[in-house]
Amino acid sequence: MNTGIDVVLVVILLSVLLSLASSRMMALVKIMALQGAMVSIAPLLLDEHSPLSNEGILFFQLMFLIKAALIPGLLYLAVTKVAIKREVEPIVGYHASLVVGLGLILLSAYITHHLGISLTGDAALLLIAAITTLGGGLFLMMSRTKAITQVIGYLMLENGIYLVGTALTGQSHSIYLVEFGVLLDLLVGVMIMGIILHNINRTFDDVDTAYLGQLKD
Amino acid sequence: MLEAIFFLPLLTGLLTLCLPVRSGRVVLMAVALLHLGLTGFCWLHAPAPHLPTYFGNGPAGVLVLLVISFIFVCIAPYSIFYMREQEMRSEPIFLGCMQLFLGTMSMAALADHPIVLWIAIEATTLASAPLIFINRSKKALEATWKYVLICSVGIALALLGFFFITLALDRAGIDVPLTFSALNEAARQLDPLWLRTGFIFVLIGFGTKMGLAPMHTWLPDAHSEAPSPASALLSGALLNCAFLGIYKVHCLMVLAGLGEFSGSLLIGFGLLSIAVAGIFILNQPDYKRMLAYSSIENMGVIALGIGVGGLGLYGAMLHLIHHSLLKSSLFLSAGNLVLGFGTKLVAQCGGMARLLPRTCLGFFAGFLGISGLPPFGIFVSELMILTGAIQTGHPIAAGLFIAALVLVVAGFARIATDMAFGPVREEVLVPEQTVRIVPPLALLATSVLLCVWMPEPLYETITSTIAMIGGTLHG
Repeated sequence: MNTGIDVVLVVILLSVLLSLASSRMMALVKIMALQGAMVSIAPLLLDEHSPLSNEGILFFQLMFLIKAALIPGLLYLAVTKVAIKREVEPIVGYHASLVVGLGLILLSAYITHHLGISLTGDAALLLIAAITTLGGGLFLMMSRTKAITQVIGYLMLENGIYLVGTALTGQSHSIYLVEFGVLLDLLVGVMIMGIILHNINRTFDDVDTAYLGQLKD
Repeated sequence: MLEAIFFLPLLTGLLTLCLPVRSGRVVLMAVALLHLGLTGFCWLHAPAPHLPTYFGNGPAGVLVLLVISFIFVCIAPYSIFYMREQEMRSEPIFLGCMQLFLGTMSMAALADHPIVLWIAIEATTLASAPLIFINRSKKALEATWKYVLICSVGIALALLGFFFITLALDRAGIDVPLTFSALNEAARQLDPLWLRTGFIFVLIGFGTKMGLAPMHTWLPDAHSEAPSPASALLSGALLNCAFLGIYKVHCLMVLAGLGEFSGSLLIGFGLLSIAVAGIFILNQPDYKRMLAYSSIENMGVIALGIGVGGLGLYGAMLHLIHHSLLKSSLFLSAGNLVLGFGTKLVAQCGGMARLLPRTCLGFFAGFLGISGLPPFGIFVSELMILTGAIQTGHPIAAGLFIAALVLVVAGFARIATDMAFGPVREEVLVPEQTVRIVPPLALLATSVLLCVWMPEPLYETITSTIAMIGGTLHG
């Protein structure tokens, strides 16, 4: 067993649980920075990972920079500028959310064992962490009222999907140029969401999604 | 060379963001014409791509590209004169994002690598978001937020779907590059379980973007709140790109011998979309929302046509072309109506025939066309899909299709009568202008023209698009 990857995966799982239980917006942003850092180094610690090419090294540095610094930085700006009330304001309470998070881990383990694909020890754990992160992100989006927590939930969902990709697909397919494109989309997406958030805050004096309910049939 | 088609608008789009408004308008018009020229060149000479691992000029892609390019050429002059009538604070952003939007859509049309296709489609969401909230009203903000968030999450699921398809390739233990053309050749060897899972995720993901029910909730808001030229592009061009993503994976499924599975899913989502749209159109007080629901309905019709196969495939491709032409024409006419009357409510648009006679002509001709009446193309395509459904043994789907279409036509008829007999207004805010009348009428005329005379290359491209998965015109 490779202990490095185990530590990283455990930190990712803990970050999901922490994010579900945290009541402060700032804490949530810090957790996302930690999670982004862990997610971007996880593929490097896998056993089957071949020695990196030059462009590989560049890509992983860029990814670390974007996921662990740039995106949390943008979120930090958004929180300081936008959120007047710094509470997360959950629809589902913190303890109940935590229980949901634990349930998600169990469910992910169940799914991973019943997929019918033989995964090596590392990849199986990686897949459990990935599905939990994915589910945790979706749950966070649905169970918090602030628009900014929806962005954080979306980022967590993306982190989960990236981990699923790392766990399931062979290294031979990772073309760094393509993966960088995905990352760029994510970055621009967060920037645009930030701009809209800013405008929502200016127009409605709050970023509560309850105000966004005028358009319906 | 092929890549220039999307690189050009992406570069000029970024440039326009920092240019003053006047030169920005000139650039927009020049890029629209140049893009159509490049697309024409691509059709006639089929230039080889520089990066064959990422891009290719497959028949389905160039078909969608032509539709996008043609519609954009009609919308570009309209939008310039539309924007002049409105007090616009940030017109450079609008002009720049229009071009970025064109660039990302062209990239999606030409992508051959699944993940590149994904990147391009996510980029279309990001490039079009500023177009929707350009007015910065409360409603526009809400619509943009829903659009960006729902589509991003939906499309994220499509990425997961593509990972599963990659897994299907890995499990088969064959070493081919990850492109649609290579996957199609190796389709039979792919792992069917993961291919199926992948298709479901891609269908849900891109189905969100394409506006298939029940993932359509962002669509009526975004299309009704965006300025009309942007709505026309969203409806006439963007939805086709998302459809292309689903179509490519469906082709892969058919070639892998799983066409039955993916086809029935497409039929299910298609019928549901038509029915949901029909119900909401029936009592819709807002004509732009009504047009948006009609887009959902037409996307459902295309999904149904692809799902039933045979003659339905040809019908679906024809439907795609004519829906884009008619719907963007309708949105442009709706834009004239919004300018003239300052309202989106049907009940306050009385006296349209007297006050805005030429807009009225375009609007009602479009109504006839989109309800599936001759001489417009949707009549032909819907008839083909119906015949295809019966020929391939889907009588229940055909019956439901007819019932849902009746609902849609009833909704259109009610709105037409409301507009004709509503309380007559005395004056208009902004009078009609020839430059804003010609583009919608040109789009309508193209639809009629394509019914009586289809150019040979276009016909051949459609048949080679559908021949891959066994569709024929003489099925």
